[in-house]
Amino acid sequence: MLNIRRLIHPTRVVHAHCDLPCGIYDPDQARIEAESCVRILEKYADSDDPHFKARCIHIKEERADLVIDHLDCLWHDYFKPNHKEQFPDLHDTFWMASKQASTVKGSLDVEEARKLLTMINRIGEMWTATGGPEKTRIQPQ
Amino acid sequence: MTSSVPIRPGWLVAGGIGAAVAAATAVGFAGWRILRHLDAVEVTGRSMVPTLEPGDRLLVETWTYRRRPPVVGEVVVAPDPREPTRELVKRVAAMGEGKVTLRGDSAKSTDSRRFGSVPVAKVRARAAFRYWPPQRAGLIPPSSVEMDPLTD
Repeated sequence: MLNIRRLIHPTRVVHAHCDLPCGIYDPDQARIEAESCVRILEKYADSDDPHFKARCIHIKEERADLVIDHLDCLWHDYFKPNHKEQFPDLHDTFWMASKQASTVKGSLDVEEARKLLTMINRIGEMWTATGGPEKTRIQPQ
Repeated sequence: MTSSVPIRPGWLVAGGIGAAVAAATAVGFAGWRILRHLDAVEVTGRSMVPTLEPGDRLLVETWTYRRRPPVVGEVVVAPDPREPTRELVKRVAAMGEGKVTLRGDSAKSTDSRRFGSVPVAKVRARAAFRYWPPQRAGLIPPSSVEMDPLTD
């Protein structure tokens, strides 16, 4: 039954998922791929070898795509509506980070990749503050 | 106009209050009948992109499928056959014998190609209206595009 409170804060979530959520999430997955983008773009700038530069572009684009996939997974599977009350900028942060990953995919500017890293760090803070490290990683025995 | 009983102002007030209470009850009952079949949900996941984005908020209603079965192209809410406490939002790609084949709009969707069809009786709610974000608010139209439920 609909009421004003449910309208403002829907507690019922309907899933439009791309795979089976396994419950393991960590922004480090996205961070490592984004760090790869930074380092690849540094190597790209330092190189005079057109063959090497072409490979840099190709691999950097793959890594940027992986960032998008990992961010999507965190966004849709890990974060829940109640986290948004804690972090009202949650959706905006992910949206901007996804867009930034697309920018990095198409850019040769290492600064764009560094901006992406900063955004992923912000997402990492949200993940840590909401208990992600304890809840969504397997604890060492 | 002649009347053997004089109309007292108190009667008018009492009658007015009575009529107001009756009207409020009728409106309240009608409102309850409508609200009972409506709910607000939030979308998570990208399998319905570009139709639905993660974070979209929708009104879903349950009266349509009390009257008739789902129609191909409609966006519905159904339990996940792999985990029945979760609810999915997907588009109806095909109707079979008591079964509904579901598909996401995105090419990367996990849907009936993976988890099979869903019993039609389990499909109770239709995604009717997006009310958030306001700039994309509006009815969720059924797709007129032919979908091939078996390939892709």
